[in-house]
Amino acid sequence: MEVFIAQFMNGLSLGSIYVLLVTGFNLLLLVAMIIHFSYPQVVVFSMYISWVALRFTNNSIVVGVVAGIVSAIALNVVLAPLFQQVMRKRGHVDINATMVISLAIGMIITDILSHEFNSGFPIAFPENVRGDEELFGFGLIHISRGQVLSLLVGVVVVSAFFWLLYRTKYGRAFRAIAEDPDNARLVGIPIFQTGLLSYALTGLLGGLTAVLLSVLLGSASPGLGEAVAHKVLAVSIIAGLGNLVGGLVIGLALGILEAMVQGFITGTWSNAIAFVVLLVVILARPRGVFGMKL
Amino acid sequence: MPLSIFYFLAVAGINILMSWSLYLPYRVQQLHFMTVANMTISGYIGAYAALNWGWPFAAVLLLGVLLGALVGFVTSFAIGDAPAFAVVIVGFTFIYITKTIVENMDAFGGTMGLFGIPKIAATPGGHRWIMFAVIYASVIVVGALIHRFDTSRLGRATSAIFVDKNLAATFGVDVKKMGMGLQTAASAIGGLCGVLYAFTMRSLFPEFFTFHYIGIAMTMLFIGGYTTQWGVLLSVPILWGLPFLLPESVQSWRIVIYGVLLVVILLIKPEGIVTRPLIRRVGTLLGARKRAS
Repeated sequence: MEVFIAQFMNGLSLGSIYVLLVTGFNLLLLVAMIIHFSYPQVVVFSMYISWVALRFTNNSIVVGVVAGIVSAIALNVVLAPLFQQVMRKRGHVDINATMVISLAIGMIITDILSHEFNSGFPIAFPENVRGDEELFGFGLIHISRGQVLSLLVGVVVVSAFFWLLYRTKYGRAFRAIAEDPDNARLVGIPIFQTGLLSYALTGLLGGLTAVLLSVLLGSASPGLGEAVAHKVLAVSIIAGLGNLVGGLVIGLALGILEAMVQGFITGTWSNAIAFVVLLVVILARPRGVFGMKL
Repeated sequence: MPLSIFYFLAVAGINILMSWSLYLPYRVQQLHFMTVANMTISGYIGAYAALNWGWPFAAVLLLGVLLGALVGFVTSFAIGDAPAFAVVIVGFTFIYITKTIVENMDAFGGTMGLFGIPKIAATPGGHRWIMFAVIYASVIVVGALIHRFDTSRLGRATSAIFVDKNLAATFGVDVKKMGMGLQTAASAIGGLCGVLYAFTMRSLFPEFFTFHYIGIAMTMLFIGGYTTQWGVLLSVPILWGLPFLLPESVQSWRIVIYGVLLVVILLIKPEGIVTRPLIRRVGTLLGARKRAS
């Protein structure tokens, strides 16, 4: 039972990271009409930038956090014209094309990280950033600072995001574009600016996720983005593309599933089991459990 | 044949086949990355059969193709008409699962890989020539079959699905069956490539069959042009050979170069270099010259 509770807590903190990533991913899908497959690579890139900032400032946490968030926003906004240009060339919304361009961007980011940072070796965050310090312990149950922080920030950020989406003018604009872009334009919603805002907002979410991942994992490698990208897309599909509530439920469920599998099954097979479960659900429900919102 | 030339030509041939394995399902707008998993499965099981059961190369080749087709066919029941992103994620998941299985099985050499796959001729030189002939015979046969398909009624039906799936269904095209057929064929090609690659390199490493290889095959297809089968014949030798022409310090940036080229081509020429109008113009030009002579 203790193992179950301990892994459940681990799963919740990991799941909150997936929820943040899936929320950003779905927002871009709904408002900008792109499958930003390389979004997790942008997050890992920000982790690296944060690591560099920490090294140059004698591990100043404030600078590290700011560097991570600003770099994620900047990179996301810089990538926006590429996606929009591809759309314009095609003359219509082409999610496949945006997915291919995003895969290419992911390839570039991953390869740059494996060439230019720490000679391609994984990076380790300093002691004062890592959240492995124990806050609470009972038998096999150990709750670390990183777990509590990621869960708290995850809940606060996602709640704030949903408030923004359902209680503000900008949120209405986002939802209007997601429902019907042509009618949204007709009623005077600035499509380009709102789209750009969605890139900046997802950049902010990505930056916060980068900070949380740095605290929770304490390290990063160039290949981390690919592994996470795969899971984010899987969660998003299982939930139903663009379904924000579904992403919240499935993101948490995946985090708990992974933690449970790791808790009860030893060795490297645990990852494969999580993937098999994902595969079975996708094969059974390729259009998602909660339904697509596109 | 010198070893370096052999490896260049052999891997280029395999890359052409792999790019075609992506081209076929993309005719109905599906990015079927599962072919890389098919390559892994058939390559490893084929190599195991040759090493431990003493199967001859021809039997292993047949096994690889059939195994690929079987896995592709079974999966296609679920994703034959699934949206592109679902097909993509099924492909990635299959790749991760097969890689994990291979890495955890001692019979397949674990993370160290599988070595000592037998030669198919008495001498190394003979092995190379036979492999070269088999690979390019495969390219010709698969290329001819794809051309036959593209110019048939079924090929036109896939073009209709590419433009508008719902409209194609209204005209009586069975979208799911078409997707299933194309995915099965693509997986069979993936299986074929797995065995060819195993006997070309005579060793297999799990790290080869990852996201990177998808990136390479996808870049070759989209830069060459995804609307015809001929684009990859141009893009594969150029892109595969390009890093060898560059200074050594730049060669390690191959994936970044591919990524940048892919982004640029999608921005300036979304359908790739070789398009259907280009093929028609070349055909007309050649026809006019023939008539003039």
